[in-house]
Amino acid sequence: MPDLKIWFKRPRIYWIIATGVLVVFLVAGIWGLIAVQAAPPQPFPYTHAPHIKIGISCIFCHPGAVRGQSAGLPTKAKCDGCHNNIKADTPLLKEWKQYSDTHQSIEWVPVALLPDFVYFSHQPHLNEHLDCINCHGDLSQMTTAKPQGYWTMGWCLDCHQKMAPEKFVKLSDCATCHQ
Amino acid sequence: MSDPISRREFLKITGLGTGVAAVLTGCGPASRYVKRQPYSDMPEYTMTGKSTYFATTCGECSAGCGLIVRTMEGRAHKVEGNPQHPVNHGGTCSRGQATLQGLYNPDRIKAPGKRASRASTEFSPLEWEAAIGLVKDALQNTQSNEIAFLMGLFPDHLYDLVQLISNGLGGANVLRYGTLGEFEARVTLIEASKNLLGVAKIPYFDLANTDVVFSFGANFVETWLSPVAYADSYGVMRQGHTGRRGYFVQFEERMSQTAASGDEWFPINPGSAALLAQGLGFLVAELKTGTVPIAYANVDISQVAKESGVSEHDLRRLAAIFVDVPRQVAIPGGVPLGQTNGLAAAESILALNMLVENLGKEGGLFLMPDSPLNPNQNNTPSATAEISNLIDKMNNGQIKVLFVHGVNPIYDLPKALGFDQALQKVPLLISFASFPDETAMQADVVLPDHTPLESWGYQKIITGSDRTTISGLQPAVVPFYNTRSTADVLLAAVQSIGGNLAIGVNFTDEVDFLQKSVIGLGDQGGFFSAPTQESFWLLWQQYGGWWKSKPDLQSPQIVNSLDQPIHLENARFSGNENEFGLSLLPFPSPNLGDGSAANRPVLQEVPDPSTTVMWNTWVEINPLTAQQLGVKSDDVVKITSPVGEVEAVVYEFPAIHPKVVAIPLGQGHTAFGRFAQGRGIMALDLLDKQQNESGNLAFMATRVKITPTGKTRRLARYESREGVYGPSSPLERE
Repeated sequence: MPDLKIWFKRPRIYWIIATGVLVVFLVAGIWGLIAVQAAPPQPFPYTHAPHIKIGISCIFCHPGAVRGQSAGLPTKAKCDGCHNNIKADTPLLKEWKQYSDTHQSIEWVPVALLPDFVYFSHQPHLNEHLDCINCHGDLSQMTTAKPQGYWTMGWCLDCHQKMAPEKFVKLSDCATCHQ
Repeated sequence: MSDPISRREFLKITGLGTGVAAVLTGCGPASRYVKRQPYSDMPEYTMTGKSTYFATTCGECSAGCGLIVRTMEGRAHKVEGNPQHPVNHGGTCSRGQATLQGLYNPDRIKAPGKRASRASTEFSPLEWEAAIGLVKDALQNTQSNEIAFLMGLFPDHLYDLVQLISNGLGGANVLRYGTLGEFEARVTLIEASKNLLGVAKIPYFDLANTDVVFSFGANFVETWLSPVAYADSYGVMRQGHTGRRGYFVQFEERMSQTAASGDEWFPINPGSAALLAQGLGFLVAELKTGTVPIAYANVDISQVAKESGVSEHDLRRLAAIFVDVPRQVAIPGGVPLGQTNGLAAAESILALNMLVENLGKEGGLFLMPDSPLNPNQNNTPSATAEISNLIDKMNNGQIKVLFVHGVNPIYDLPKALGFDQALQKVPLLISFASFPDETAMQADVVLPDHTPLESWGYQKIITGSDRTTISGLQPAVVPFYNTRSTADVLLAAVQSIGGNLAIGVNFTDEVDFLQKSVIGLGDQGGFFSAPTQESFWLLWQQYGGWWKSKPDLQSPQIVNSLDQPIHLENARFSGNENEFGLSLLPFPSPNLGDGSAANRPVLQEVPDPSTTVMWNTWVEINPLTAQQLGVKSDDVVKITSPVGEVEAVVYEFPAIHPKVVAIPLGQGHTAFGRFAQGRGIMALDLLDKQQNESGNLAFMATRVKITPTGKTRRLARYESREGVYGPSSPLERE
């Protein structure tokens, strides 16, 4: 059996191991950053752009944003409301029609996710007349939604700070978002 | 051997490895493993993460408790009592809680179908249009007196509609039957009320405000009449008044859950309740006025003591307790009325109230006002005698079409009545059952109704409420399957028949019928006022019905001054005492009721309050009797009556009269889905078809004998789950 103690104790090996660990951490960190910023693959390539271009409001499909915490996802029944009257003549529409006909719901992968320790509700933000575009980016240029790089605490506070001082008292309280 | 790596170094290397692995996996976004699946057909009004609440009425028994159903994304999640509802004041019983397991039951009938022949397993699907065509043909091509509707105990909108259709047809046979109604002997109670108070209604007992209650077998915290309402009142009587606590005495052969919560319990001899009530009446009259009315004049107290098993000393003591308080009430429950002398028992017990002059007084006896919907409608259910009559007609070939809704006669009726055989003579059996129960499994055509949480309707409250109440039903969820409301099916059939019938029953659908029925209530002084018919309908749905803002109970007028002797015969029993030495007491299970809840697994798993048995049938035997018979708990015994025999497992129960054995109802299903089927036995198979004077089933009038079989089966009890999981169960606690 080779004497492990001897080669392991050599300063050169020490350096190699240390560099190796550093590289692993660095690669993992960079990969993590890229991974969370990238738009996840979705099971169905829904396109926001044409829907917005014909003038459908975000709230029509995501009405939960006005009334509560979560914006929600539209049901098949809601899509049917219009698409029953639109001929499914493109490959994309044909694919969607299969979901619709079989009453199968699409398993979306969430894009705009905040960590579990953050309490966020859409409603107060919409009440303050924020537009969806302010946080979610210009969806009229997107197919499926993409994450926006700026969803950090500093970015939230930047905006909260601009509110009236009496409001900022509450809005800068940790417990408002970290309940 | 030299140690190549020290312990410390080994830990360092492993730590490093683990760290790298953790970092590599942890850097991936966990969110990517999450999927969000929107409901395919969620109702528009719902919002993700927020509940929507619907006020409706419980459909598990006929009491008509108000419910609030919490729904989320179009699915019912939880049921609670409606706090504003005058029947249950926010409470529910275990059956109410389990109503969701009816809605989500995996064994529901999901679409209409037709059987190749009676009881055949070949069941072919049917379109609703064709189904309605079948109903239409049945109604149109059959003489009206050859059509029979057999319905549940509910005094609901469907019953009113069927009455209307029956009148339009020229008088079909419409019967309302429920096992619970028989075990409360409702018809007997109503007849006694008519004979003594002049009104054919179930009296209202003001339990909440009384000081002393004498209950003769009324299991009001379990299943009797309106158990949530009376259990609530009982709580108020015991703890709701500062400085006084009501005193409660129960006379019953077995210590039921209700008896167990009383101050005193007397295990009286079977069949002696009527005599006991007369004895108490004699003593009460003596103490109260010094003169005994003729109704009680022939009573010999020492004979009463001997026959009932309550000592003369106790009788005098109890009479004094009853007289010495300002408020008292005597309640005739089901057990004494389920004797062959049940009507005399009911009258003797009700008359105790008249002796102490508590009619229409706080803590006494009242009558509920007439229902504002169809006030002339007869709300008395059908007793076994009427069912017997129907069975005779079926046997004689006088019934060509039988519609069954809300009741399961093949299971519910005692075998001795012969419903099974009579059914073979009926050419067409149409069942509206939501579940594959014993009757639906025989039916030629099955047209499944929605379950109550998917249904529209109203229910007239005829017992348990201190005010005029019409309880409303509305769908809390969109119907899950291809089911259809029975009212809609009948209305569609009537409309397609046309003619005078369609003119007389002129409603487009069930909701139209409901609206036309209830909207007239708007100007009758309910607790909410609505300026328009539309707003009345909205508020009706919001509150879950309509009721008066204040109690409007009526004071009964005494029409019988007790100057005639109450005709009291000795109770008769089927089976002679030498051969069949024990009286049989079948009783509705507090959890499974009459068996219509046996397909709810949660109710099967809830331990019985007295014995903690679950998932099975047991027979309660006094330990002294068990010793004489040479049996012990968990032994399987054969129980034989003059008309049948069953096998059940013994539970030695010290709180039962030694001459009585008790068997709970609820099990013994041969169909009704995976949770109910093939479990336990049905006690009614042992009963002879004896009836009391009013035609109610004399369920206490059968004697049995018990013989050991030599087999043993451990009962599934809270303390011993072996019966469920088998002898090698790791969960076995004993």
